[in-house]
Amino acid sequence: MSASTIIFYIVSALVLVFGAMSVFTRKIFRAAIYLLFSLIGIAGIYILMNMDFIAALQVLIYVGGIIVLIIFSIFLTHQAGDKLPKPLFKRIVAGASMAAFGLIVVLGVFYKTAFKVTTEAGIDHSARSIGRQMLDYHHHGYVYPFEIVSFLLLAALVGCIVIAVKIQKK
Amino acid sequence: MQLSISLLEITRAIDSWLNSIFHPHVAFGIELVLAGVAVILLVVAMAVLMVYAERKLAGFMQMRLGPMRVGKYGSMQAIADVMKLLLKECLVPTNSDKMMFKLAPFVVTVVSFMTIVPIAFARGIQLWDINIGVFYITAVSSLSVIGILMAGWSSNNKYSLLGAMRSGAQIVSYELSGGLALIVVVMMSGTLSISGIVQAQADGWWVIKGHIPVIIAFVTFIITSTAELNRAPFDLAEAESELTAGYHTEYSGMQFAMFFLSEYTNMFVLSMVAATVFLGGWMPFHIAGLEGFNHFMDYIPGIVWFFGKTFFILFLIVWFRWTFPRLRIDQLLKLEWKYLLPVSIINVLFAAFIALMGWYL
Amino acid sequence: MEQVPLAHLLILSSALFFLGIYGFFTRRNMITMLMSVELILNSVNINFIAFNKYLFPNQLEGIFFTLFIIAVAAAEVSLAIAIIINLFRKFNTVDVEEVDTMKF
Repeated sequence: MSASTIIFYIVSALVLVFGAMSVFTRKIFRAAIYLLFSLIGIAGIYILMNMDFIAALQVLIYVGGIIVLIIFSIFLTHQAGDKLPKPLFKRIVAGASMAAFGLIVVLGVFYKTAFKVTTEAGIDHSARSIGRQMLDYHHHGYVYPFEIVSFLLLAALVGCIVIAVKIQKK
Repeated sequence: MQLSISLLEITRAIDSWLNSIFHPHVAFGIELVLAGVAVILLVVAMAVLMVYAERKLAGFMQMRLGPMRVGKYGSMQAIADVMKLLLKECLVPTNSDKMMFKLAPFVVTVVSFMTIVPIAFARGIQLWDINIGVFYITAVSSLSVIGILMAGWSSNNKYSLLGAMRSGAQIVSYELSGGLALIVVVMMSGTLSISGIVQAQADGWWVIKGHIPVIIAFVTFIITSTAELNRAPFDLAEAESELTAGYHTEYSGMQFAMFFLSEYTNMFVLSMVAATVFLGGWMPFHIAGLEGFNHFMDYIPGIVWFFGKTFFILFLIVWFRWTFPRLRIDQLLKLEWKYLLPVSIINVLFAAFIALMGWYL
Repeated sequence: MEQVPLAHLLILSSALFFLGIYGFFTRRNMITMLMSVELILNSVNINFIAFNKYLFPNQLEGIFFTLFIIAVAAAEVSLAIAIIINLFRKFNTVDVEEVDTMKF
């Protein structure tokens, strides 16, 4: 067991614990903060896998953008000190059994499948090579999906303004 | 240059000495702890110095003397303030979310210390030469808003909540043009790593080499970093006439000191980033063709260049604070969304054209 | 990092996925449901990165999928927040059970 392996197990335990706390807690702001810690842990796992660019993107967009948006919507719609209502018992049973069943099926499938793990070094996953292939318009390039995603983001931007704008009543 | 090489030798000597005594893993751990202690000492020393310098500068700009009582010319004033904050009681409001309330100052402080990691102070004096340095700093510094929002929510106080919301809206919106300003230089130097950007400026700083687009980006970056720091003229989050003290209204003693320290740390980091990206980091000032002049400039150590540039930008930020009146919230958002953001988007396109044609010096 | 078996990463991601599923089915508050969806998306991202790293180290396709998922997630969350705020304005609640005007 090397140091990075031990760090991996600690970080993944933290990810799961904070994810569970975010799902089970009854204080909504704490749920957002636990989710934040869970997402930072996932960024740590990406760094351990040498995916620095993806890790920084995860922190920038998920943590700095999405969680901040969620916290803002909590500020606008909830009062400090409120507790969420307890979930109904039949929903807990249904949700837990569904999750457990799904987990068993998925892990069974993973156990049955023989993944051909290669240990070769492969190409580097630096921002430079990602950018080169992303904006390549020849073979295996991703410039078309890239353009579509940028169009989607623009549409989302306009859509948000249209939905959330307060219409002045005359 | 002389001094920076000797600094590099000192770090190498410490590294080999630790490795000769301990197991490599233990030595690595000890080096991490040493680096952390060094960063904390540097930041605390600079913060104490900066508090004193800012009060003195404010005094001179307003035709008064500033602190004069404690020590010679008030030089012990900042230390006395720190002692006062350390000895004060940390109060926790009754109906607050206690865990979040106590966690918030730590989140803010940890985040602001994490952003120092990839900054190069001199040749080889860098904690982690990560190959996405600038991107890392943008990503991590966007976390500091979370601590502010935590503080605002958990204080259970309407002024804190309003201050935190204003601060959050301000930081999130000004991050955009700050990031676009950094992209201009990243495009021209063709790398995201801090050491690579510094190396690209060996024959001239970007603010001189990159002419119009980089100068626009530099001005935008200084404005946005002042706004991200919640300092005047953008200090709506803690506008004392409207909101008492903003998100840290309920904090006292050491917890308040941590917010204060993290604000100053963010200020240092943003001015260090501006100094590195636009003014060449630890690279000395060179004029092509003047060999004697360039040799003379090389004799000034890199660390002096770096901190000289950093303090120049810090001075600019302090100058803004005592010169401009505070903006209203609608003026603040209008400045970002109607002026700065369109200007920086067009500037990025313009800079891409210039970088593509190779029209920089 | 090569010592960590792929199976452990898959266990992590699937546990996170079904935590998200459980949260999505038990919570009735729209914002917490949104958080569960974020957990689900992140577990999928871990899987894409792990498969890219362990099975096809000579390609970047897993990374591109992750990038696009992150971009789409950002668009999705901003729209969802806009809808939630509009909903709160009309019904004064963000509980999905209470928004039943269209229910027949």
